[in-house]
Amino acid sequence: MSVAKSWDELQKMHRACTITVETLEVLAQAAQAGVTTKELDRIAHDCIVKAGARPAFLGYRDYPATLCISINEEVVHGIPGPRKLREGDIVGLDLGCIWKGFYGDAARTVGVGQVDARAAELMRVTREALLAGIEQCWPKKRLGDIGWAVQSHAEGHGYSVVREFVGHGIGTRLHEEPQVPNYGPPGRRERLVPGLTLAIEPMLNVGRPEVKVLDDGWTAVTRDGSLSAHFELTVAVTEHGPWILSEPWPYAARPELHA
Amino acid sequence: MPEAAGGEAPALSARVVEILPSALFRVELAGQGRPQATVHLAPEAGLLRVRPGDAVLVRLSPVDPGRGRIVGLQ
Repeated sequence: MSVAKSWDELQKMHRACTITVETLEVLAQAAQAGVTTKELDRIAHDCIVKAGARPAFLGYRDYPATLCISINEEVVHGIPGPRKLREGDIVGLDLGCIWKGFYGDAARTVGVGQVDARAAELMRVTREALLAGIEQCWPKKRLGDIGWAVQSHAEGHGYSVVREFVGHGIGTRLHEEPQVPNYGPPGRRERLVPGLTLAIEPMLNVGRPEVKVLDDGWTAVTRDGSLSAHFELTVAVTEHGPWILSEPWPYAARPELHA
Repeated sequence: MPEAAGGEAPALSARVVEILPSALFRVELAGQGRPQATVHLAPEAGLLRVRPGDAVLVRLSPVDPGRGRIVGLQ
């Protein structure tokens, strides 16, 4: 189990996550039909460097880019290239940065132009599943409760949950202990403690849950070619409940600031 | 960036010492030298004929080291 983070460390992660999520917002606006994925990668790199941070994925296990961009049936880890976005695509944008040695990691899936109702519904449910998982991040809850919340929300809407990839602890490294699966029985595995920081990231498929990794060694696609969506946020467990690290700390919860 | 889900336990070499009911086997792990695991044939092993004395490969369960799966012949 990774070490619980101190208040100062959480502040640094808060900064890293804020930069990441703000960059994702820029990318979501930029993801229009006709834009190449390479171009989005360049925008992501520029935004992160301009904010004074460093890209977290570039060079991680020899990953060649700043951004992971996964279109339609691609689940995660798509490598930016010359491919152009088309009207109706759904585009998973996964990004991370390092601020003063601490990592922030986030992802969202956006539609290019007008997407059909089926894709919009998938993106909505995936985001809701992420929030359902985050709601479990209270002290004394267990890791299994997060997976259960995500899985039951996803499967309740008829989608399947990817098993081969999982969320993770995060802090001074991109992937720390413990792994955070998006499935599993509630009330099992490690207890959550204040200061624990987790990247929760449900990956939902319209069809079956199986994925395969393409020959580039990174891009994961659904085996049956069905649509897939991915949302991710970095969350800290605190005594006052979950703190989504890209959001401001709830002011009322810190009475010493009112003094 | 999601992490690849936890890797499978490594295959250990073992020797079959006893055939139990219900397609279970008791094996002796080469390293530990004592009968330890009751082992169910793993589906990926296909149709194996396993007899006492055979050298096999076993993956132990991550949650119960007293159980494992025979994944192949050595």
